[in-house]
Amino acid sequence: MAHQLIIDAHLDLAFSAVQVNRDLTVPAATVRTQDGENIRRSFGSCTVTWPELRRGHVGIVFGTVMSRIDPNDEWTRSGMYCQDQCHGIGHGHVAYYQVLEREGLIRFIHNVSDLNEVVDAWQAPTADTPIGLVLAMESADPILSPDNVAEWWDLGLRMVSLAHYGISSYSHGTGTEGGLLPRAKPLLEALAAAGIIVDLTHTTDQAFWETLETYDGPVAASHHNCRTLVPGQRQLSDEMIKAIIERDGMIGAAFDAWMLDPDWKKDTPSYDQATSATLDTVVDHIDHIAQLAGNTRHCGIGTDLDGGFGSEQAPRDLNTIADLQQLPDLLEKRGYSAEDVTGILSGNWIRLLSQTW
Amino acid sequence: MLIIDGHLDMAYNALFHRRDLTRSIQELREREDPVRCNLSSHPDSLERRGGSPHTLYKGIATVSLPEMRRAEVGIMLTTIMARVQTPSLTAHNACRTRHTAEARGRAHLAYYKALERRGEVTFIKSKDDLERSVTAWQDPQPDTPVGLILSMESADPISSPEAVAEWWEAGLRSVTLTHFGANTYGHGTGSLGGLYPPAYPLLDAMRETEMIIDLTHASDQAFWQILDYWDGPVHASHCNCRALVEGQRLLSDDMLRAIIERDGVIGIVFVDTMVNPQVNWDDPSTFVSQAARPMRAMIEHVDHICQLAGNSRHVAIGTDLDGGFGRELAPVDMDTIADLQGFLDLLRGAGYNEDDVAAIAHGNLLRLFRNNWQ
Repeated sequence: MAHQLIIDAHLDLAFSAVQVNRDLTVPAATVRTQDGENIRRSFGSCTVTWPELRRGHVGIVFGTVMSRIDPNDEWTRSGMYCQDQCHGIGHGHVAYYQVLEREGLIRFIHNVSDLNEVVDAWQAPTADTPIGLVLAMESADPILSPDNVAEWWDLGLRMVSLAHYGISSYSHGTGTEGGLLPRAKPLLEALAAAGIIVDLTHTTDQAFWETLETYDGPVAASHHNCRTLVPGQRQLSDEMIKAIIERDGMIGAAFDAWMLDPDWKKDTPSYDQATSATLDTVVDHIDHIAQLAGNTRHCGIGTDLDGGFGSEQAPRDLNTIADLQQLPDLLEKRGYSAEDVTGILSGNWIRLLSQTW
Repeated sequence: MLIIDGHLDMAYNALFHRRDLTRSIQELREREDPVRCNLSSHPDSLERRGGSPHTLYKGIATVSLPEMRRAEVGIMLTTIMARVQTPSLTAHNACRTRHTAEARGRAHLAYYKALERRGEVTFIKSKDDLERSVTAWQDPQPDTPVGLILSMESADPISSPEAVAEWWEAGLRSVTLTHFGANTYGHGTGSLGGLYPPAYPLLDAMRETEMIIDLTHASDQAFWQILDYWDGPVHASHCNCRALVEGQRLLSDDMLRAIIERDGVIGIVFVDTMVNPQVNWDDPSTFVSQAARPMRAMIEHVDHICQLAGNSRHVAIGTDLDGGFGRELAPVDMDTIADLQGFLDLLRGAGYNEDDVAAIAHGNLLRLFRNNWQ
């Protein structure tokens, strides 16, 4: 069977290139030889580069701008003390994508016609078909204020999560307890007015429900698994999943062992342990959402690969992101129809974007 | 008296070393207390997981905007700093690719714009902007914005000659082609060799604007190749004298004379390794990690350049403070950049008259821009 177009709704590509300082124009195996010992220990073995995406027919990605308030984050070099710094780092991430667009490696997707053209091109891709990029933001700190939303929209921003780890300028995020902060409401209003999707990933439970109450625009959880299968705040409870389904939103399955393997030891470096999670474990989470919905319309992929971890912390049968092409077979084995499979791999995200724009 | 610092890496400090430059120096230092007890909120952080993370030397902070205001360091040339060089233990801040260099460069620009939005700085792009800033600093208020002239250390973020116009538009007014090692455009400090072919069309494009070439960090060969080819304005934003301290990083007397001949200006660097005669910049085994000299040592370099020129028209200040070193390598009688006013007193004590002091503190750099901007 010919390769299928896959959409990955969450990749921190600019972070990997700009903060981790990787050359993403070469195969992952080459990056692994270039990364210094300290990079390899900190961020793991590289799994995502532009050639790997191409090899896996991951023809459309949501690429992030990623910088958050986190004064103690010496480690990623993207956690900051103030929003001006986040704004700077964020602009650097956009600039990275713009440089690649100028060189023809990728193409920004701003609207439905861009989307349709990229989808069409990936039906029969050639060696130089650009990878489509939807600009996303993980933690809204780079947006200085509601009146700064327009600038980011013009740069191509189409999806935003209010928080990430810790407490952002707008909301409590993963690992904390609390809800939205006072500045969230005017920001959400500006995002709704602009037509920017709110990404519910990384909000606390309280902030999750407060966001749904405050914001009536399109929602998604770009890289998020199921709490019923893997306990913990980082995953979505069944009620949350149902709420997203009710809003006709999307949930992208995340490929991080922490979110797939209940036995994963968060306090041990990833190079000192091995996960039992496989790509089939990812399918378990997709299936759980499909069972709750009674259909596959809300299931997608949002791997988060190389988002702070490498192959050591990914499903054990995944070497690079090109291995996503094993998913069609795994889904079919579970009894999903060809139509369902296409929806999960690309169609559902395309629907959300088309409806939003 | 208004001081112009001809070389600071503000955005690099803000984004790479995560320093919020709107805060007091005391707060910046407290934040960088080596005995930290707080962990990153990111669960993948290696220290949170019991691994030993790689920490970077950044020195003890000496520069922040409140400190600059306190000492009337009211105008600065501050950099876009992102060079291509194979990263290593000694080049931890280098970029592996030009993609990354351009991205980091534009991150630096965006940070300065965010500071401007907040009223902390004001971009100086024209003669009018310059005069406005100079006037504002004649009677500074607590919130007078620091005037910012955008410079670039290593031209890697300029992707092509065509991109020069865009950078000019963004405010870029002074560029060094190279930095450490070999980059896209040629050889810099610590390497032997000259310019690479892409340097020439880049220089052509810069000549179309009113860009000033900064000869700092050019290898010896590249220095003379630039002067042979470039007939526009030049300066050396942060360079001391090789006659006093050995090594390619410093300017030989011939080089100093060549810059003086072009009516250029040389900025004195406030780091011990460039005033310590036991250091040889071409021999890393001679480097020191602790300063042992006071600011008076910088005056020897000021004197040397003034003697060569026969006047005080070609010396300025280009401290480079926090540019890869901190208080530990700054002059021993310097705690923060605010001590620069004390340096002016030392010049007076050394026999420089008030006109000379004003020229060194700001007049010479002002002349450089007034003469070369429409």
